Amino acid sequence: MKIELTSPIPGKIMKVLVDVGDVVNEDDEVMKIESMKMENPIYAPAAGTITAIGVKENDEVEVDDLLLVIEEAG
Amino acid sequence: MDKWTFGVTMLVVGMGGTLLILGIMSVIIALLKKIFPYKKEAEGKA
Amino acid sequence: MLEAFANGFSGLLAGFMHLQISNVVMIIVGCVLLYLGIKKDFEPLLLVPIGFGCILVNIPLANLMEPHGFLRTIYDAGIMTELFPLLIFVGIGAMTDFSPVLENPVTFLLGAAGQSGIFLTLALALALGFNELDAVAIGVIGACDGPTAIYVTAKYAPHLLGAVSVAAYSYMSLVPVIQPPIMRALTTEKERTVVMRATRKSVSKTTRLLFPLVITILGGLIAPMGLPLLGTIMLGNLMRESGAVERLTKASANEIANVVTLLLGISIGATMDGKIFLQTQTLIVLALGFIAICLDTACGVLLGKVLYVTSKGKINPLIGAAGISAFPMSARVVMKEGQKYNKKNYLLMHAMGANAAGQIGSVIAAAVMLSVLKGMGII
Repeated sequence: MKIELTSPIPGKIMKVLVDVGDVVNEDDEVMKIESMKMENPIYAPAAGTITAIGVKENDEVEVDDLLLVIEEAG
Repeated sequence: MDKWTFGVTMLVVGMGGTLLILGIMSVIIALLKKIFPYKKEAEGKA
Repeated sequence: MLEAFANGFSGLLAGFMHLQISNVVMIIVGCVLLYLGIKKDFEPLLLVPIGFGCILVNIPLANLMEPHGFLRTIYDAGIMTELFPLLIFVGIGAMTDFSPVLENPVTFLLGAAGQSGIFLTLALALALGFNELDAVAIGVIGACDGPTAIYVTAKYAPHLLGAVSVAAYSYMSLVPVIQPPIMRALTTEKERTVVMRATRKSVSKTTRLLFPLVITILGGLIAPMGLPLLGTIMLGNLMRESGAVERLTKASANEIANVVTLLLGISIGATMDGKIFLQTQTLIVLALGFIAICLDTACGVLLGKVLYVTSKGKINPLIGAAGISAFPMSARVVMKEGQKYNKKNYLLMHAMGANAAGQIGSVIAAAVMLSVLKGMGII
């Protein structure tokens, strides 16, 4: 099943810590978003393989913008 | 006036007044948001 | 000839001869403040000038705080007149984005609850035998807002200024240590894990422009004594939101705020003369200030719990802790605590809302307090 991770907060993408094809566990850190001058870790919503990434570093994001898609394992 | 009266007045009127004013403000802002709703196209970048 | 030498030489020793124990203690206190600021990163922008001011004023015979001394001149010009805290407020208004609270106006209430410590501590101080105005100054530490505390204290209890401002600023930097245990103690695991999605942008530019105007006029009419505080912060915010006077906004948020912070810090430090500062009273003030901030946090979280119930479990009570105005520290604390219990919980924007409301709340609380004092004929 595909699971979309949308941005929970508005801000700027500081770091994208994963690539398409990476396998992640639930609650792995996948991105850092700078919001309100604070670095916020963004965690994977489920375990699986990253199939798409919707943003790149330094992008400005709004709430609900697509960050990445995970193909859930199993 | 004794300190006791002063203290209780401050607690009641002070704390109550603060809560009341901020309560009124929250109502006013809620109203403002109704009167001037957010429109994506009208906003431009802001 | 030899006598002249001896006399001349004694001039160089006079400072040592006049050095009192209290001065030595305060010089050490000044060094501790410098250490905290420089090495521990506790509000360095304030603690460095405060610490140095404290050292300067405790060196005997230099008379920096006597009439025409340079610290006295700065103090009289900016603190006695309340000018410095007000100028800082213009800067705060210009720096603060109030949109998180506008997105969710109910958070205004959390900003009010986060000020309860002011009034509770005021009552406590009265019970401990402080007079009315001293109690007001001590309570205002609970505003957790340096400029507000300085504004009120300089006006009504200037002898407590050093203690109150040191308490206000040092506790502000201790917010990440003070708050979490209280937040945990007052909430259940279930409440802490409530997920709050950030709201999409819902505030129009018109609303954001009208907000500072409406708040100023309304707040000013209800509590005119606080209008200087409210008016300056809202002026800064109007300039920011209008986007029409970017140069003034930038100057207020950067250059003016920086210059004033330096002058404010050094003149606060200058009030820390050993003879005045080293009294048991100071320790009591520091202790009460600590209690004030704990009570603020507790009341904020408790109101958060009320909102949790009234919203049928949609509001995470943790955000109540951000109702104090230590901006944006306490919002960060809330975000971190929330994520500790549920990694997919991003409370930041809601906490920022409560925190921005706390900024306004502390100003309103001070304004209400002063207006009540005025109404009761005490000032």
